[in-house]
Amino acid sequence: MKKIVIEALYGEYSNLYGDRGNLLYVQEKLRRAGAEVELVQTHLFDRPAFADRPVDFLYIGPCTESQQEQELAHLRPYADALRQRMERDAVTLATGNAFELFGKAILCEDGREIDGLGFYSTTAKRFSDLRYNALCLGVSGEDKLVGFKNQLSHSFGETGSPFLTMETGTGLNPETKAEGFRRGNFIATYLLGPLLPLNPQFARSVLRQIAPEAEFAPLPYEEEAYRMRLEELSRPDANKNSH
Amino acid sequence: MGRLRFLFALWMAKLSVPALKITHHDGTDFPGSLACRLCPDFLRYIGRPGTIVAVTGTNGKTTVTNTIADILEMNGKRVLSNRAGSNMWSGIATTLLLGCNLGGKLRKGYDIAVLEVDERSSPRIYPFIQPDVLVVTNLYRDSIKRNGHSEFIFGKIAQALPAKTRLLLNGDDMISGLLGEGVNPRTFYRVARTTRSTDGCPNTACDRSACPHCGHLLQFDYYHYHHIGKAHCLHCGFSLPEATFEAAEVDFDKGCFTFREPGQADLHLHSKQGNLFSVFNVTAAVGCCRMLGLAGEDIAQAVEAPPVQTGRFERRQAGKLEIVTMLSKNQNPISSTQSIAQLSHMAGEKTVVLTITDSLDKLHGHEDISWLYDTDFDALKDASVESVYIGGRRCYDLALRLILGGVPEEKLRLFTDYGELEQTLLAQAPKEGTVAIFFELYAKPIAMGIRKALLERAGEEVQA
Repeated sequence: MKKIVIEALYGEYSNLYGDRGNLLYVQEKLRRAGAEVELVQTHLFDRPAFADRPVDFLYIGPCTESQQEQELAHLRPYADALRQRMERDAVTLATGNAFELFGKAILCEDGREIDGLGFYSTTAKRFSDLRYNALCLGVSGEDKLVGFKNQLSHSFGETGSPFLTMETGTGLNPETKAEGFRRGNFIATYLLGPLLPLNPQFARSVLRQIAPEAEFAPLPYEEEAYRMRLEELSRPDANKNSH
Repeated sequence: MGRLRFLFALWMAKLSVPALKITHHDGTDFPGSLACRLCPDFLRYIGRPGTIVAVTGTNGKTTVTNTIADILEMNGKRVLSNRAGSNMWSGIATTLLLGCNLGGKLRKGYDIAVLEVDERSSPRIYPFIQPDVLVVTNLYRDSIKRNGHSEFIFGKIAQALPAKTRLLLNGDDMISGLLGEGVNPRTFYRVARTTRSTDGCPNTACDRSACPHCGHLLQFDYYHYHHIGKAHCLHCGFSLPEATFEAAEVDFDKGCFTFREPGQADLHLHSKQGNLFSVFNVTAAVGCCRMLGLAGEDIAQAVEAPPVQTGRFERRQAGKLEIVTMLSKNQNPISSTQSIAQLSHMAGEKTVVLTITDSLDKLHGHEDISWLYDTDFDALKDASVESVYIGGRRCYDLALRLILGGVPEEKLRLFTDYGELEQTLLAQAPKEGTVAIFFELYAKPIAMGIRKALLERAGEEVQA
């Protein structure tokens, strides 16, 4: 089996909500499947590995609002390389407010607008004092995904290719059930935290794209945790104490 | 009108105090909450002492508040403090109204108020209650649901900070240490490198690894824990100002350290709980009292008083078995990491009980368990930890997290039902060594129940 290269972008910032759990999970699953793994930690001001060589899994998690602008400034010269990844169907996952980096723009509280990378035409609007918490259950094809949101912004407009249709919790904003963006193996979603450990079925489908030759066995207790959360978040009152 | 409304709110709130006692309700912030509902700017009118100290930050604010109040009282000051009460705006209102007469004027005798303030409540408090000194212990990630991220909380404090307030800041924290930059008079305290300091970040969660000014990675001379340590930026040269108060020569075994201040004699102090958190807390409290003008030797004598048992960390003996109970604030990965790390300092074989996920899910709503992935559980990997009992509805999530962190699966015992956990532990826990029970705030009754059962087990055997 070939060596699997994972790249984590801006881990010094984009790590707010247990998001490293996604990297921990993918590495452990690959290790148990017998794959050799190289983890590349790309810091702000470093040249990303994906710009120069094949990267099997690119991950970016949520950061603070003030850091988004720095990350965007650094990422902008590599927008074409990111688009090429998307065209090649290479696996890319952006969680939490990293979703906003790939939209059209971010509208700040003071009216200033920061250009996004323009992969889809949504505009994120920040709220200085409204922190949106939600427990989430969304459907993607055959998969039902569970997860969490905690954000100081919502996105408006449409991605044209939503990742999830929400059954519990809102979509990109409180007026829509459409959440995130998915084109092939390029996935961007407001869901944050340890998304892959929380969703073993979805994670398996992602892992099969990262390492098609590998056989992935379930980790202990991951199915039990998922089933319990799925049952709880399917209840109509799942979010009654979330805000 | 404003004054009349205030007096009405004050009287109603004062009437509620005996009513609460008669009905056996312990609502420590109810009178203040009622007062602020009846008069939204109640804090503007209520009497207060001539000097006000506030203490805020993610962790340690209760201990620092109590230590400052203790030192002041032992030096003859009469202190108004919310030691036992809520630290939100309603708790502050309760504390102040209890110190006032029916006219809303401060009763004679109070010299100073020492108030613990919830970080998020800053915008509701500081516009009305302007501290002379504000001590900020630290800022880092906390409950995701309540606090979002540390920058959000920093903004809450910064937007409300009165410009005249003198700040006492943690010089090893490049988040809270930025408060009041260029605006407020600022003094810093710091803990020098200790025998437990590390060159690399020892923890998963690190809320400041890049320069707040230019964004390049910081160079740390040493880390104490998480992002707390001495750092500077090689790219732009930024660092926090030199500390006025420094804790040096920390001896964890003896639980003591040296408090240094330029131009003053060294103070040799006890750190109460003996751990690093305690050194930081005592240093902050002593530094604050120095800023208030107390003499070093008078402060040192007061710090020598034995620590008050808070119930957060206790040791009991059940025959040859030691039972340790320790608070591990759920959804607070820094507190939890530091609690779990205490296992490394306990000798002998250990059985660990984790009741650290939300035991009141039904009341609080389903728990966001993301914080478990920011918490380090490395101490559980040690061979001296024989088994790990995990209780509560979130036991599967926690078990998966531990396995991903390298804790051997065969050590784990899972129980969705706490009663079943207790019965199994009673039947299987060894009768020598240590049982360490970590509990989240609302699981304290569960932890105490398990401890009581273990003590009774030892008692029965002694009698037999």
